[in-house]
Amino acid sequence: MSNFVDPKLGLIPGPFHTKLAEQNRARSWYDWAGYAAPGILDSMEFEYFALRNQSSLFDISPMHKYRLAGPDAVEMLNRLVTRDVRKIKKGRVGYAVWCDEEGYVIDDGTLFHLADDDWRLCCQEPMLTWLHDGAWGFDVAIKDETHDIASLSLQGPTSFAVLEAAGLDIAHLKPFDMIQVEPDLMISRTGFTGDLGYELWCDWGKAEALWDRIWQAGTHQGLRAIGYEAVNIARIEAGFLTAGVDFQPVHATERLHRGQTPFELGLGWLVHFDKGHFNGRRALLSKQHTPRSLLIRCDVEGFKPAQGALIYNGRKREVGHITSGIWSPTAKKNIALAHVRMPDAQRASKLKTEIYTLEEGKWDTRMARLTPVTDAFFAPLRARATPPART
Amino acid sequence: MSNYDAIVVGGGINGLIAGAVLGRKGKKVCIIEKAGSFGGMASYAVDGGPSLAHALYNLSPLALKDTGIDADHATLTGQQIDTVSLSSDGNHIAFKEGRVYWNDGTEHPQSQAWRELTHRLKTYGGLLRQLAEAPPPGGHSASLSRARFAEMLRLAKLGVGLKKLGKTEMRRFLQVVLSNVYDIVLDDLPDGPVAGMLAADAIRGAATGPRSPGTVFNLIYRLGHGGTITRPAGGMTAVVDALVEAARAAGCTMLHETEVSRILVDEDAVTGVLTADGQTLNAPMVLSNVASPLTCKLTGPSVFDIETTRRIRNIRARGTAAKVNLRLKDASPLPGLKDELKGARLIYAPSAAYVETAFNPAKYREMSKAPVIEAIRTELPDGSHWLSAIVQYAPSDIEGGWTQSALDQLTQLTIDTLDRAVPGLRDHIVGTQTITPDQIQAATGAPGGHWHHAEMSLDQLLTLRPSNGTSRYAFGPKGLFLCGAATHPGGDVMGLAGRNAALTALEALK
Repeated sequence: MSNFVDPKLGLIPGPFHTKLAEQNRARSWYDWAGYAAPGILDSMEFEYFALRNQSSLFDISPMHKYRLAGPDAVEMLNRLVTRDVRKIKKGRVGYAVWCDEEGYVIDDGTLFHLADDDWRLCCQEPMLTWLHDGAWGFDVAIKDETHDIASLSLQGPTSFAVLEAAGLDIAHLKPFDMIQVEPDLMISRTGFTGDLGYELWCDWGKAEALWDRIWQAGTHQGLRAIGYEAVNIARIEAGFLTAGVDFQPVHATERLHRGQTPFELGLGWLVHFDKGHFNGRRALLSKQHTPRSLLIRCDVEGFKPAQGALIYNGRKREVGHITSGIWSPTAKKNIALAHVRMPDAQRASKLKTEIYTLEEGKWDTRMARLTPVTDAFFAPLRARATPPART
Repeated sequence: MSNYDAIVVGGGINGLIAGAVLGRKGKKVCIIEKAGSFGGMASYAVDGGPSLAHALYNLSPLALKDTGIDADHATLTGQQIDTVSLSSDGNHIAFKEGRVYWNDGTEHPQSQAWRELTHRLKTYGGLLRQLAEAPPPGGHSASLSRARFAEMLRLAKLGVGLKKLGKTEMRRFLQVVLSNVYDIVLDDLPDGPVAGMLAADAIRGAATGPRSPGTVFNLIYRLGHGGTITRPAGGMTAVVDALVEAARAAGCTMLHETEVSRILVDEDAVTGVLTADGQTLNAPMVLSNVASPLTCKLTGPSVFDIETTRRIRNIRARGTAAKVNLRLKDASPLPGLKDELKGARLIYAPSAAYVETAFNPAKYREMSKAPVIEAIRTELPDGSHWLSAIVQYAPSDIEGGWTQSALDQLTQLTIDTLDRAVPGLRDHIVGTQTITPDQIQAATGAPGGHWHHAEMSLDQLLTLRPSNGTSRYAFGPKGLFLCGAATHPGGDVMGLAGRNAALTALEALK
């Protein structure tokens, strides 16, 4: 769902704006949920390599954050999302998707099990009215904390060392663990890069102090503030999906059936039919074995990024398109996420994509072979090692 | 613990019919009613006064047939009653046997025009009735199934029926069916008590005025079974007794004064109900005559999709009809009414404009200062004489609530209004009862005290009744169905909602 930005108001500053503005040599701000967010701070390549080789700091405060608390919180959430939230223990974070009545994904996000009957949902799309609708009949209080909680994503191989230097003891945190490490600071071992990394959560008003503390601690660890373009490359390498790019959040679609089921997005593992009813369950039961298309990961022949390119089966029939395509600096491969119609997605040996290229004023196309792969393009062991390495 | 094939929650008209239909198809059925007696809203009465409903005009012969009641049943044939449109100058207008007469017995100049207009509406009603006598179109049955074939046949019949009207009449039908009754009636009649009577019939029980869109449909709906109005022999209680008898004869177990506290679900299928006194009754099929939000709460919202709960919460059901029962001192005739019209249905709606004006305050949560009234004289078995009146508009959500002074005001307005047309009526009145929509809601559970449980408006009809996605009676988990007046085709002591729901449920769980 696109946020309407009042042209008179323009983009508004987030909690780390002063800090980001100091470093924003590229002055490349973009609109993230109405906030001015950096696309690039100085150069995308430097930022990306800081993320993969050192550590990086990215402001994720514009994410929508909702607090769900009350005796029926688990029951309400279990009806909302497709996975069984009873299995997300206290102090753990779980990735989840939620669907409409037709089984199409509304959005994905992370669920933080903060305390008994106390949860936070963190997601890309505005979800307050939907959560209120979903809470009818349940004893749950819902609070939009989007503008109360500031958050920073600290990612990269030295991110643990940075936190340690900041005097924060989080060596025992396993992936998807979280801890209220100080009264005003929560840290979760989560991220959107597929690398070792943490997300730091504090009060909006304490954001700048947190930034300064981390920044100082990062002096000897190569810490760099980064913009979204670097993050985007990292998340494609990790095979993560972006709402509105790799899937259409169904509430933001106007045409019928433009939504996608979790099965079509490769997220079938998040659908727990055995937990009782959840939104869209009846539709998903009938649709689970008949996906109309599949979101696949593939290697693309050559080195030209294939973003937006159409996919053909044997050059004749158009069967899909690339949703995210980049040259992966770490995997040293041309990689892409693609929607491919069924059944072509399952006999993908003949898939080719038509990439448009512009070289010094000359447009051209080239047909590049696609090779489907099953795993993430880049999944370093350091992302999971506990306690994590310092470099 | 008892085992049934089907349980019906709520023993109102539709619940009784649904139970009887299922029973006659060989199912072991239990009908559960919270109140001490069956019949729900139709037979609800306070302190031995007249029941809420006081006449039959829409009871479906098809529903009766499937319930096993002979359409010639003595109770139902009862006594046909004429209509009188009251006039403040005492020159009342009587509608009988398809003609309109002055008080002195001469034929009214608008007789012919009225006859033609109502005849046309009745023809349309006959056409649309086949839509009412089946679940709404658009089910998801397989394209080659019998159900789909029957549905296509029904729609084809409607198409052929329309075609048969002839080009001019078909065009006219399509023009008027979604229109407002004010314009259509005043096309053919000058405004006055004849037009007023039609306008009043088109808005009775609804939160609309004659100028609201869709009111022609309401009038057609009302005339769907020919428009004959009958006072059942023995009153509404006798009708309910006949239905209870039919349900018993069909083998239904009848539990009254039993409250369902939970509809039980396991593995996304209904397994039965739990009663407030702790009994578990098992059945793979539960039909709920209770409003959908209440049914949802009884079942637990977590077994429904969020869109479903959002839609049912937004169903518009704002009752605007209050019941005012005026106890008469004796059997003596009312002043100014000829003896042959003693038992007639009295309408106070001197013009269509009057009805529209009466509606205005209701938009702002106020009662009409000059209400529209339908009154029928009844004698109860205890020998008491009453004038049973349906008074509009008395919105359920009146500003400040229905306090005693608001109730008194409504009673007084009713008496004053009737006394204007029937001078001296006041002296016949020895007692009053005023039942407002909020009381009806509290007693029967009907949302807003609305007698269709959900406004009969274009956005809540056919495949959208009571809401998108729940129009074919199935509601959430397997085996749960809605069967009340809020479902297609609606209320009016018609019985088709219960009958259609029962047949759909049978088909679905076959």
